[in-house]
Amino acid sequence: MKTRMTKHNTRRSYLLLSAILLLSIGCEKAFEFELPEAGSLPDNNPPVAAFAYIPSAENFRTINFNNLSTESTNYVWDFGGGNTSTEKDPTYTFEAGEGAYPVSLTARDANQAENTITVDVNVVDRFVPLPVTIINGDFDGGQNDWKFSTFTGGTTSPFNASSDGSFTNYDGSDNGAKTKGAKWTKSTSAGVYLSSNTRYAYQAILVSPSIPNERTVRYILEYEYAIKTPAEQPGVASGGNRIISEVLGAHFADGADAVASTPVSQFVASEVKGKTSHTTVEQEFIANGTGEMAIMFYAVTDVDVYIDNVKVYAVE
Amino acid sequence: MKHIKYFVFAVTGVFFASCDADEFLNPLPDAAIVTESYFQSDDDVLSGIIGIYDAVQGVNENTESSSIRFNRGIQLEYLLTEHRSDNTRSKTLEGSRADFHRYIVEPDNIQSEDYYQSMYEIIFRANNVLAYIDNAEADNINAYTAEAKFLRAYAYFNLVRLYGPIPLVTAVVGPDEKETLFTRIELPIVYDQIIQDLLEGVEHLDNTHKSRASKAAAQGLLAKVYLSLPEPNYTAAAALCQAIIDSGEFSLQSNFRDVFYNELNSEIIFAVQFLSGNPEESQGFSSEFTSYKRQGRQDGLNIVNTNLAEVFNERGGNRTAASYAAFGSEALLAVPENAEVIKFLPDGSDISDRANPSYGPSPANAGNDWIILRYSDILLLHAEALMAGNDTTNNTAIDSYMAVRSRAGFTDRPSVLTQSELLNERRVELAFENHRFFDLLRFGVAHDVLGAHAEDMGYTSYNIRRLLLPMPAREVNLSEGLMTQNPQ
Repeated sequence: MKTRMTKHNTRRSYLLLSAILLLSIGCEKAFEFELPEAGSLPDNNPPVAAFAYIPSAENFRTINFNNLSTESTNYVWDFGGGNTSTEKDPTYTFEAGEGAYPVSLTARDANQAENTITVDVNVVDRFVPLPVTIINGDFDGGQNDWKFSTFTGGTTSPFNASSDGSFTNYDGSDNGAKTKGAKWTKSTSAGVYLSSNTRYAYQAILVSPSIPNERTVRYILEYEYAIKTPAEQPGVASGGNRIISEVLGAHFADGADAVASTPVSQFVASEVKGKTSHTTVEQEFIANGTGEMAIMFYAVTDVDVYIDNVKVYAVE
Repeated sequence: MKHIKYFVFAVTGVFFASCDADEFLNPLPDAAIVTESYFQSDDDVLSGIIGIYDAVQGVNENTESSSIRFNRGIQLEYLLTEHRSDNTRSKTLEGSRADFHRYIVEPDNIQSEDYYQSMYEIIFRANNVLAYIDNAEADNINAYTAEAKFLRAYAYFNLVRLYGPIPLVTAVVGPDEKETLFTRIELPIVYDQIIQDLLEGVEHLDNTHKSRASKAAAQGLLAKVYLSLPEPNYTAAAALCQAIIDSGEFSLQSNFRDVFYNELNSEIIFAVQFLSGNPEESQGFSSEFTSYKRQGRQDGLNIVNTNLAEVFNERGGNRTAASYAAFGSEALLAVPENAEVIKFLPDGSDISDRANPSYGPSPANAGNDWIILRYSDILLLHAEALMAGNDTTNNTAIDSYMAVRSRAGFTDRPSVLTQSELLNERRVELAFENHRFFDLLRFGVAHDVLGAHAEDMGYTSYNIRRLLLPMPAREVNLSEGLMTQNPQ
């Protein structure tokens, strides 16, 4: 057998090679070298145009578009007024402001099949006022965060620390016992008792500014207060025992400047119900043009007076 | 010449075998099953039902390591859910597992395709059992039917939330029935089917099992379905959660860690069981969650994001130490960069030495159960249902919320419970249990939260379309134009 094989060596190799070659071509032909249209299927899924939009956080006029089209690769947006885009997810600013703007999106696939949708995009000024957090508003942290940095001719001590605050926690739940609060006495009073020992509680806040002729932003300063009854402690200051809450139109480094300024809003709290019997005040004020404002508390009193749970929030 | 002829013939034969392979030219779609056997007795039907759980369980990657077309069941689910939320990420950026947390999953992603296929495997096994259910004993037919339908509903509920409209197959079908296998069905119809299937579970199952379907599992899952509807049915969801609470059969573990290491405890409503050290019955995800001293096949998956650690610091309480841990130079950091999940440490693990943790004799074949429903989830769903999309002062809702929060060591009962507090509470209580992504969808804040998260992390590929996974390319290709793709 070996001899015979050697004899036909050349011929055998040739035959074998051609056999393999032939088969290889046959196989490749089946899988690779098809005519362009042979065996291909029609595209029965044409493009469907769709989109959603979200106004940007910074400017309500600026709309971020989200393309939700299917079965498509190319896009043409028409925002009206000759403004178009071929981006997939464009951003467009409607400078004219509030209104309904028809926006159309054409989605196209590689076969040039296309679909167009037109949606009225509603541009609305949904203003959300800045939230304000009063730091140490429950006075659990004592005098922290309520002091002026300096006080020409006075003291930066803001109030007498007190354990006779409200029974209510800062989140509105019942604590079941007294919480910490802030207190003023005759010796720390202003008004008829004004002295270098008069104490002022102060905290700077940042609010959304009002814009003249465009928008008025209203906030509420809320707090609880209590004034001792004559039975608990005798004495009435001239004009009545009272706590004064003020909203100031700027930030102040020196307490003397703050006291000398004219407040944007003032409330005189004077209901006498006794120690730990608190009354809630909701003092509404309008944000100024800068948004830099401050709240300040002081008292004119012969007897001990208290405040607790100071909050500032926007009017709904 | 004679020999040459034979040789040529042999060569030809080889070519025919490789070119003409039926499997190659006519591959079976994932949506198909060929009925090879049928169930003749009650025992057969029961073993068929147990076989459905086998599909849920999936095959450990360390037992069959090929990435292609193995049912991993729920073992890869964290990639499609936790990684696509703001909770966790992959440590490496290599490979298709690292695509999920960066929102760059493409239609040909192997793990997404595997999960899709795994869920349909559950559905087809359930349909197969249902086709022969009449061969069971008459007394058992209702319960067996309900059990198979519960599992089918579970799979559809996962699919519909991840992929959107999907083919709805509720009977045994052959590979030629392409209309059924590939036509995507609108969400309301899919949800109706899920609800009908689960209602049977509520009616016909009891609470005998925790590792199999039960009445409470059907109630809990149905409550979650009601809350996930485009227009949620809050009343029905609240009633179902209330029924589970009133059954008195479940209670919170006093020690949070015991929820995960005391298997099938009082808090578990439905869990998939695994067996430690057994290649056929174990899971691979526990080892993938290690990184500092790596036990898994990857550099570390489900690595905890810093923004989750910050929320844990604020409101985790005693759950923090049982949920994640940092090792080496990061061990003492309040906000570690690369903390690892420790809710599913393999048997025999000891991580007390944060410079040299150990993971027992067979970390790659871990036996930790996968919890699908537990009681604290139900309590928080109860609050969610009563709140009906608003903040609330409802004391019953706050009671349920506080039950979970008290166990974590908090006593700060709020007078008003807000949506964001509830969402954050779910985030820390159920972290790494594949709830976060679905929670964000249900609360309607997925785009807001994940858009901001993607921006923080520099995941520039994120856009609102990424909230739906793409339909697997394999299915789209096999459908011959019937299956549409999600917006890309």
